Amino acid sequence: MIRVDEPGPEPGAQETIGPAPAPEHQGPAESSQLRPLLTQMFDVVVRQRSERTKEIARRIWHEPWAKRTWSEFFFTVLGAPMAGLGLAFVAFTMGAGALLTITFVGLFLIALGVHGARVIGGIHRNLARSLLDEEIEDPEPFVPRHGMFGWLQSTLRDRTGWRSLAYILVKVPLAALGITLGFAAWWDAFFCVTFPIWGGSGNHVAVFGLPELLFGPGFFSGGQAGFWHGLGVFFTGILFFFAAPWAVRVVVHLDRLVMRVLLAPDVLTARVRSLEQARTQTVDSSAATLRRIERDLHDGTQAQLVALAMRLGMAKEKLAGGDERDLQQVRQLVDDAHRGAKEAIIELRDLARGIHPPALDVGLEGALSTLTARSTVPTALSLSLTNRPTPAIEAIAYFCVAELLANVAQHSQASRATVTCTDNAGWLRVVVRDDGRGGAELSRLGSSSSGLTGLTDRVHAVDGRLDIMSPPRGPTVVTVDLPLHA
Amino acid sequence: MGDPLRVAIAEDSAVLRDGLVQLLVDRGFVITGAVADPESLRRSIERERPDVAVVDIRMPPTFTDEGLRAAIELRRLHPGLGILLFSQYIETRYAAELLADDAAGIGYLLKDRVADVSDFVEALVRVASGGTALDPEVVTQLLGASRRTDSISMLSGREKEVLSLMAEGRSNAAIATALVISDGAVEKHVANIFSKLDLPVSQSDHRRVLAVLRYLDS
Repeated sequence: MIRVDEPGPEPGAQETIGPAPAPEHQGPAESSQLRPLLTQMFDVVVRQRSERTKEIARRIWHEPWAKRTWSEFFFTVLGAPMAGLGLAFVAFTMGAGALLTITFVGLFLIALGVHGARVIGGIHRNLARSLLDEEIEDPEPFVPRHGMFGWLQSTLRDRTGWRSLAYILVKVPLAALGITLGFAAWWDAFFCVTFPIWGGSGNHVAVFGLPELLFGPGFFSGGQAGFWHGLGVFFTGILFFFAAPWAVRVVVHLDRLVMRVLLAPDVLTARVRSLEQARTQTVDSSAATLRRIERDLHDGTQAQLVALAMRLGMAKEKLAGGDERDLQQVRQLVDDAHRGAKEAIIELRDLARGIHPPALDVGLEGALSTLTARSTVPTALSLSLTNRPTPAIEAIAYFCVAELLANVAQHSQASRATVTCTDNAGWLRVVVRDDGRGGAELSRLGSSSSGLTGLTDRVHAVDGRLDIMSPPRGPTVVTVDLPLHA
Repeated sequence: MGDPLRVAIAEDSAVLRDGLVQLLVDRGFVITGAVADPESLRRSIERERPDVAVVDIRMPPTFTDEGLRAAIELRRLHPGLGILLFSQYIETRYAAELLADDAAGIGYLLKDRVADVSDFVEALVRVASGGTALDPEVVTQLLGASRRTDSISMLSGREKEVLSLMAEGRSNAAIATALVISDGAVEKHVANIFSKLDLPVSQSDHRRVLAVLRYLDS
């Protein structure tokens, strides 16, 4: 099927090249144009094709001796007993379990089957890893709930277990295919090649495997066993010898595909786990936020109001005393109380803005322009949104920009900054850039302002991303990507 | 008042600390130290030996119950020192911990109480002289949480009022003033309460507080 071409110029090509004279002898201008063109054509048509052919030939020649071939062969051979035992195990636990479902024993047998399937799946995975270099990640470990019924419930709901079970079942036809196609190719190759030794002398004919089906007895010599028949079987064996690695490979490749789907970590489980983590972060961060608000109220506004009430109380008592002497003091107390009341109002306003910026009610643009205008480092805002994000996303974007601009003002020594806000394919991208000294890291910023770590938590909670690029000497570019709707 | 009372203040909110200093100086107290954390308070008390300390419960470093811990330790080190704990919230658990062995020279008030300057000053003086000052809120919570609802329901409305004021640590005279009744009437109510609740009669006000609180808390 595949021709093993000898490298070298083909007759046609040679004819064209042959008459082309060396440039220094005749018609230098003409031939200097023609020659590279011809060389190129020769390269394209002959050399490159022959290179490719050579490469294919080389691979065919090397493949029967390659380590990979024998690993795959070994995997195929091992696959047969593995598939058989796996099928027996599944058939017993599931079959007996199904028959006994009326009692709890049945459920336990099924659960045992699922759990066992998980273990067997692990063995298959390790086998693929060591023999096929197939790097399939381990699925999440099995964490049963408390108690016997907890274990039962968790096992029956273990998606990884059920998927491993599916693999064990799919493995059965795969192993059968591996044996009939892959293993048999080697088998045939071996017996065909050795046929002249053990069967060539007498009236024996090739009576084994695929060749028998294909050629029948004495195919090569008109029904007669003999020299030509032996030679024919021998060369068929050579053919099988070089074809066998590929037959095995095809089946193993199928197996790889199935394993990647059924033995890899469950996408859904992984998603649930990442969502659980995100939820924990969100809960923690909202608890931290509430605590911060309580602290701010306690230390700020509440204390202000207590002091205010206290001063007014003192003033009231002095007024009730009706002593002229105290009037100056009363005036002072009322003065202090007045100032305290105004400070309390300001503190409350800042606090309220920290909880939910009222400017966000009219949209991100208004809120961000207030924010950039208030920044101590001159900041330009460019915003072009085709879709309005949901309020939660707007709030996260707002707090990101607020925190990042605060960091710019505190740490960067920047002379100017830009805030860019765009949306693309359902994602909102906010970029805060400054021309400061750079060298900002999440960990460092995080330690200087717990706000930024809180921000990353909030960003992750909606499956967003926060990236910091800040080489030494700047500039610092922080990119926040958020889904428009979450 | 003979010698002016000497007061130490531990309060981490500057605005409140300054206000307290202003208020107490105005009322003729001597401020021996106004500090913002428990450690400074300890040192200040060691040095100045005040009569009474006003201590915020929530202070640095953890902003939980540093003041309470400091108060318990200070009472051990300086048995004569009156301590008025001062808090934005009332936690019954704190009151129970504070009054675990003795109610003498202990006060526990909401910060709001400074608005009624005279009441606050009176409470401070009471604590300084070994009495008790419990916030009405504490008493309300204890009464609300008490499992002795049967016996408490036997009390008349007036007797309940007297019980609350008694639990706050007030003397008979103070109760009489607060309720605008005669001293004799108060004594009669107190005697009725003690017999209805089957409590041992005690002479000093703070022992009486303790008896009432134990009764409510048990």
